[in-house]
Amino acid sequence: MTALLAIIGGAIYIIGYMVYGRRLEKEVVKADPNRPTPAVKLRDNVDYMPANKFVLYGHHFASIAGAGPIVGPALAMVWGWLPSILWIWFGNLFIGSVHDYLALMASVRYDGKSVQWISGKLMTPKTKYAFELFVYFALLLVIAAFMNVFAGLASSTPEIATASILFIIVAMIEGYIMYRTKMNFSAASIIGVILLILAIVIGFKFPFIKIASKQAWYVIQFIYIIIAASLPVWILLQPRDYLNAYILWFGLIVGGLAALIAFKGFSWPAFTVFSPNLISGQPSPFWPTVPLIIACGALSGFHSIVASGTSSKQLDNELSGLLVGYGGMFTEGFLSTIVVLSIAAFGMTVLKEAGGDMAKLASPALIGKYGAGVIGSTVGKVGIFTHSYGKLVGSIGIPYKLGVTFGGLWVSAFILTTLDTSNRLARFAWGEIWEPVKKTSEGFYKFIANKWVGSIIAAGLGMLIVWGGTLGALWPGFAGANQMLASIAMITAAVWVRNVQKAKKVWQYAVLIPALFLWVTVTVALIWYLFVAVPAIKAATTKYPVAIFTIIMIILNFILIGDFLGAFRKGPKPEAEVK
Amino acid sequence: MKKLSDLLRKFFGGIDEGLKEASVSLIEKELEETENVFALLTMGFLSGIPSPPTGLVLRLLPYMQREIYVMMLRSKNLDDVFAETAGTFDID
Amino acid sequence: MKTYFFLGKGGVGKTTIAASFGVGTSLDNGNVLVVSLDPAHNLGDAFNSTLSNKIKKISDNLSAVEVDIEKMIKEYLNELAYKMKNTYRYLTTFNLDRYFDILRHSPGIEEYAVLEAIKRFIKLKEFDTIVFDTPPTGITIRVFAMPKLSLLWTDRLIKMRKRILDRRKMVENVKGRFEAKIEGETVVLTSDEKEDDVMQELVRYRAEMEELRNFFSSDNTTVNVVTMPEELALFETKRISESLSEFKIKLRTIFLNKVIQCKKPPEGIKGKIKEQEEVLKKMREEFRGIQIKEIPLLEHSPRGIEELKELYNNYLI
Repeated sequence: MTALLAIIGGAIYIIGYMVYGRRLEKEVVKADPNRPTPAVKLRDNVDYMPANKFVLYGHHFASIAGAGPIVGPALAMVWGWLPSILWIWFGNLFIGSVHDYLALMASVRYDGKSVQWISGKLMTPKTKYAFELFVYFALLLVIAAFMNVFAGLASSTPEIATASILFIIVAMIEGYIMYRTKMNFSAASIIGVILLILAIVIGFKFPFIKIASKQAWYVIQFIYIIIAASLPVWILLQPRDYLNAYILWFGLIVGGLAALIAFKGFSWPAFTVFSPNLISGQPSPFWPTVPLIIACGALSGFHSIVASGTSSKQLDNELSGLLVGYGGMFTEGFLSTIVVLSIAAFGMTVLKEAGGDMAKLASPALIGKYGAGVIGSTVGKVGIFTHSYGKLVGSIGIPYKLGVTFGGLWVSAFILTTLDTSNRLARFAWGEIWEPVKKTSEGFYKFIANKWVGSIIAAGLGMLIVWGGTLGALWPGFAGANQMLASIAMITAAVWVRNVQKAKKVWQYAVLIPALFLWVTVTVALIWYLFVAVPAIKAATTKYPVAIFTIIMIILNFILIGDFLGAFRKGPKPEAEVK
Repeated sequence: MKKLSDLLRKFFGGIDEGLKEASVSLIEKELEETENVFALLTMGFLSGIPSPPTGLVLRLLPYMQREIYVMMLRSKNLDDVFAETAGTFDID
Repeated sequence: MKTYFFLGKGGVGKTTIAASFGVGTSLDNGNVLVVSLDPAHNLGDAFNSTLSNKIKKISDNLSAVEVDIEKMIKEYLNELAYKMKNTYRYLTTFNLDRYFDILRHSPGIEEYAVLEAIKRFIKLKEFDTIVFDTPPTGITIRVFAMPKLSLLWTDRLIKMRKRILDRRKMVENVKGRFEAKIEGETVVLTSDEKEDDVMQELVRYRAEMEELRNFFSSDNTTVNVVTMPEELALFETKRISESLSEFKIKLRTIFLNKVIQCKKPPEGIKGKIKEQEEVLKKMREEFRGIQIKEIPLLEHSPRGIEELKELYNNYLI
């Protein structure tokens, strides 16, 4: 079954790429190999530089992949593996990859400007500002949600905690030898990988970091964030980022191979109930709430930032865009597919071995009701993945616990990197948000925009929100903000396709319908979240900030659709220059 | 046979280049920012910010091609700074 | 070599005093050069001789020159423009001409030229003494301030430059020598301090500024102020003294010029004489430790070497 699903998944993506992707390229993007891309036209060897398309694909994929495509699908298993996988396959195919690809190509057509900038031009300047706000809230929620995930993993599995801490040291050593010594690059890389393996093995054999309190890990992460985000990038962040890519590819390739070889049937039900108890422990209807759980892997707004931030400035030819944007997202979908099938095959076994109350999991309906609870109280909501992955790679000879440690490090490595970068970006956004105050009260501005203040506030707010919160409540908050971002990007793309590209009606709808479907789904989901899930949050320190963010996002969302309808109704501009 | 070895060389060469880029991309961004700030500080009088004594500026100017170049490039993208910064940090 | 700076507002007789001092010094103490840095040149009038941008021998052991600051500024900018046009070939969108227009009128360009002039003259080995007739006080004070200010900026820029070179080295360790192709030209960006033109220029400039700072504060440099016995002049002299001490430059002598000495003053100027006396008293209090020399209001302003010599012998010694 694992092999079957892996193959079907792979096939769907490949066929989707060949058939749907190529049509998009032709009819919507109207990719022209003879039109110079900004990387060529504006080449300055600073930001604009054409890159080999395979290299760019690899880079783009490593940038968009993180902990998201793993955590989301793991949480979604309470709906059963089938709905999850269908969203990962088809949500990705018709919405997610389209979103990524169009964001990339629109940016290419606008000289590498970001989707945010384009939205400001195609709709209204308000949209551009809304974008920034969404990103800021998303960042705070990312910090909270990711802190929770890591705390969960580290407190329950000392192997993972140990490997993660060792990895920090490994990264710093790698940073030193790679940037401060004249050592040959390949040699330095090999040493880095060896040290990485050592960290995993030591974590596996000598798990000496045994801190069982989740909240202790919140504090540890808070301190880590503040320090890490204040260090020059070469010391920790850059080498981490670099080594993460090796972890990613290894995990993906080994997982894929193991899936093909494992030949294991699924003990997890294909479908449990439509509304299992998931978000905040409340019955969560698959529609509209699935995007609040599975974001990356199916659709993620952050990708549009990466696509239009760096990738678009390095695209060597318009025809390469499909591989980078569309293909990159598909690969992430494939990654999520592996997550789903590993839990589908081994999840039940894992829960049984972890002492879970199997009586509560005896039928699909029961799983819907109690599944999230049982998982949470035994291996943990992300632990279900690390342990299932451990079992999966056991079929190619890797010891179970080692596989678990690796799976855990995979998630935590990306989490700790993201916590660092999120804090840095939040600090920056914070300064921007307070800019208007500069004129009226310079002293206050100086204080509030100070980088330490910005850093502590972002990390502090994150910690405040996560302190009493559960992943089931926090993750949808982050995913919601993320999907809102995707909404703006998708809607901007729809306007671009209609007003600028002037694609055939049918193709306009091919972009418009997913965009509107997404907007409606996310809006309904967030309203549901506000009225059903948020009230169920017990901790006030979590409930109120999340509620406020959600309300602001919903309001902005309605303003957004107003702007969109205006721009859409205006229709294609006359043949004058759009830029 | 030669085609195959050429292809392999291109493939692994590409990977090598890609890996090298990946390993320093953040450092390079920081470098550009610092070069930009250096140029801004030295040429501050062009935009009304405090600048070094004219004598110093006159002495440095002949050697600041790179920094001025970066500064001019960056000033073109000033209206997209947020997204550009966000794009540098791969968050997902 | 000994250097003397004469500061003072316009109209106080600074140039006459400076010229007279030059004449007197040339009689007993070696070869003297009197330099006028004041854009409103009066030095030639004082010597009754036409002076120019070239050093002119006026008598034995005495030479004089009127520096054309405007011309110097033009020369520096032209040289810079030439240098830049050659190296900045690929910055085609960079409007050099407009840029130089801004530079030409930027605050500090005059001070820069004056400083360069001073540097030039104090290097001349054939003179034992140089007397400077300075530009209006504001500029002169800023000139004295330049070394300290320049050092502050230079240090800051050096720190930043080190960081740039440091990061370049890191990238170099991975990707090798940093070569950028900018608009058809290959530009090598070095990470080595010794190879980096900007760093070398910064270091060079720093050394020069430090030398100047030491020069201004040394015992071989004397700063004098020429002023008049008036209330406002007193305040100005005070401000000058404070600024100078901020840069650790000592004020040696105050030449109180145009003192009305009248045995039987008519009614009309009795008030003025009273003011004079008060100012004098205040001055002696304020500037203890500084020599104050009084020069009376003469019947006619001294012109030519003989009269200047007389002035020197009567009142300046």
